[in-house]
Amino acid sequence: MAFQILLNVFLGFMWMVMTVSFEPAVFLKGYLLGLLIIYIFRNLFTSRFYLLRIVAVLKLTYIFIRELISSNIAVVKTVLKPKLDMQPGIFAYPTILEKNWEITLLANLITLTPGTLVIEVSSDNKILYVHALDINDAQESIDSIKDTFEKAILEVGR
Amino acid sequence: MKTNDVILQTTTKIVLFIILIFSVFIFFTGHYTPGGGFIGGLLTSGAIVLLLLAFDLKTVKKILPFNYMYMIAAGLLFSIGTGAGAMLFNVPFLTHAYTHIDIPILGELSLHTATIFDLGVFLVVVGVTMTIIQTIGGDE
Repeated sequence: MAFQILLNVFLGFMWMVMTVSFEPAVFLKGYLLGLLIIYIFRNLFTSRFYLLRIVAVLKLTYIFIRELISSNIAVVKTVLKPKLDMQPGIFAYPTILEKNWEITLLANLITLTPGTLVIEVSSDNKILYVHALDINDAQESIDSIKDTFEKAILEVGR
Repeated sequence: MKTNDVILQTTTKIVLFIILIFSVFIFFTGHYTPGGGFIGGLLTSGAIVLLLLAFDLKTVKKILPFNYMYMIAAGLLFSIGTGAGAMLFNVPFLTHAYTHIDIPILGELSLHTATIFDLGVFLVVVGVTMTIIQTIGGDE
C-alpha cells in the first residue's frame, strides 16, 4: 500500500516536470491521472488498490463516532435510571483478528465506547476479556462488536 | 532451467508507470505540441509489451482482463460518435466544438471534442497493437 502511494506521488511529480509548470493544481492533475493508471493496473500489485483501504479507514472512523454517540446516550439512560437493576459482569470475546495493531485497535475501540471495557487479552491473542455494564445482553454485545468494529478493522487490514 | 526474473519484474513495475504517465501526457499535449492519440496509444501498448516481456501472457491477461477487440470497437464508436454528434446541432459531420470551463481546484480547462475523437484513436491503436502481438504470441 505504501508503495502504491509513493508511486502515485512520484507520478504526480513526473507530470509536473513534463508539463514544466509547478503549481499544486498541476500536481493534483498528474496525481489523479496516476491514480487512474494505477487503478487500471491494480492486479499487478500483491496488495489491493490503496484507495479501498483509505475508504475502509474512513468507514471505521464513521462507525466509531456513531457508536460513541449512541452508547454514550445509553450510559446516560443507565445513570439516570432510578432503580439499579443492571448486572455488571465479565465475558470472554473470541476475536479472529491476528496482527498486533488490529487487536490493539479493537481493544481501544471497545474500551472507548461506554458500557464495555477490555480488561485483559489472553496470552495467545485469541480472547479478549470484556467487562460489561449489563451482562444480561453479553451475547448481543458480542454480536454487535463483531458486526461493527471487527468487520471494519478486518476491512482495513486486508 | 527457469531463470529468476525478479530484477526485471521489479524494475518493470516502476518503469511501466513512468511510460504510462508519459503516454497520457503525450496524449493530452497533442493539441498544441507534438503528440496525440496515435503516438500515445503506441506508447501505452509499448508499456503493455514491456509487461508481456517481464511476465507471461497468462499473467498479463489476469492483470488486464480486457478484450482488445471490444477496445477497438469502443474506440471506433467514440470517433464516429463525436463525428455524428455534430450533426445533431445542424452542422456538417465531424465539426468540432470547444469551450472553457472553470473547475475550483484544477483551474481553467479548455475542453475540445477533438479530444474525444483522439481518445477513440488512442483506444483503436492500443487495441490493434495488442491484438496483433497477443495473436502472434499466443500458441493456442
